[in-house]
Amino acid sequence: MGDSAYSFSLTTFSRTGKLLQIEYALNAVANGRTSLGICARDGVVIATDKKLTSELVDVAHVHKVELLTPSCGVCYSGVGPDFRVLVHQARKSSQAYLRQFGEVQPVTQLVKRTAGVMQEYTQRGGVRPFGVSLLIGGVEADGTPRLYQVDPSGAYFSWKATAIGKNYVNAKNFLEKRYTDDMELEDAIHTALLTLREGFEGEMNSENIEVGVVRNGKFSILTPEQIQDYLDEAN
Amino acid sequence: MSRDSNYDHHISIFSPQGRLYQMEYCFKAASSGLTGVAIRGKDSVCVVTQKKVPDRLMEPSSVTHLFKLTQKVGCCVTGSMADSKSMVQRARYEAGKWAFDNGYPMPVSVLARRMADLAQVNTQAAASRPLACIGLFVGVDDEKGPQVFKVDCAGHYLPFFAAASGPKEQEAMNFLEKRVTDMKDFDNDEVIRTAITCLGHVLGSDFRGTEIEVGTIIGKEGRFHVLSEEEIESHLNAIADDADA
Repeated sequence: MGDSAYSFSLTTFSRTGKLLQIEYALNAVANGRTSLGICARDGVVIATDKKLTSELVDVAHVHKVELLTPSCGVCYSGVGPDFRVLVHQARKSSQAYLRQFGEVQPVTQLVKRTAGVMQEYTQRGGVRPFGVSLLIGGVEADGTPRLYQVDPSGAYFSWKATAIGKNYVNAKNFLEKRYTDDMELEDAIHTALLTLREGFEGEMNSENIEVGVVRNGKFSILTPEQIQDYLDEAN
Repeated sequence: MSRDSNYDHHISIFSPQGRLYQMEYCFKAASSGLTGVAIRGKDSVCVVTQKKVPDRLMEPSSVTHLFKLTQKVGCCVTGSMADSKSMVQRARYEAGKWAFDNGYPMPVSVLARRMADLAQVNTQAAASRPLACIGLFVGVDDEKGPQVFKVDCAGHYLPFFAAASGPKEQEAMNFLEKRVTDMKDFDNDEVIRTAITCLGHVLGSDFRGTEIEVGTIIGKEGRFHVLSEEEIESHLNAIADDADA
């Protein structure tokens, strides 16, 4: 940390004024497995493709959707190990908030902190940017559901619905056609699964995707059985 | 400095396509050397690797790729020997500190995750290169039963039913994939013999007891122990008998 040999930023401006390392990091994200999120009137759903290359992997214990606070969860597209670092940092900072203020950190503040960390890694000496974009779903202090995307640059956006990773363009078009402002959570979950299936390589089932839901201000990760119920309803 | 076109080959920064060349090169180094295979069964795990003593004057017991990390967690590390030993030292320290801080032994899943997080740091900070080694961590967890984790130079870690590392990784994984449903019910003998057979299959050779190393943990009360030459010989004989039958 702060090694004198690398006390200069590795992310520097090109002649045309671009920060190329950040653009390349976004390419790393675009190579990652698809994730998407939908913000409904009464909740949020985030979902990701968990397809792994080998049957030998114990896929039930691989987690790509993680809980950050009791009311907020996150999924990603991009470089897995980088995601773990951000989850760890976000959890620590939300615990510090809880200890100081006695209440669960609202999602917008959590997003700001996490985005700040990601921005730091584009400016600090000797490190590269994070190769992940995050989709964070949670509730504000007043209970309003929100969906945020945080990029490697540290920029964050609030979305009604969005997709990241491979095939995100088609997924976003699909979502745009189906999104309505007064959408309810159950519809949103169904739409999310349909969108994920659109671009899925091979057969999508309850084992090779992961879905997180914010319902009544509580975040939970759907079990394979619950996902199977939704998939059965869709058929 | 980062405008030099090949700088992304020298340190861990992104290439224009979003790849990390240093990590990819590191994988090449880590996948050279010996092949290791780890399998988890009904109530036990085992890890098997080749034993190649480069010189007859070398003390054979000092040449090993199997390491006990705690009483109940072992690992096989392949790749650069120096980097492997460094990772093992750190893993032993992390496990010891965790047990001291928390009052109970560090579960293999937590240790694997910790080592993976440490590996990730080297892929993001330019100051250190990633360690050129891949670890197969094995243990029998109090609550979750037998577990196998593979931790690589990039900081990826995944739980496996069976895993392989090294130059013959892909062939070994293909062999193991065909048997994945049966392996879940294997007892300790079957687990060990399948791992040995897998290694023999991909290396295209039969072994003597001195040419492979086997480490295993049996049951939730079990401890990581490395089999003696006699124990390995008896497994090899059993495999040969089954093959003849």
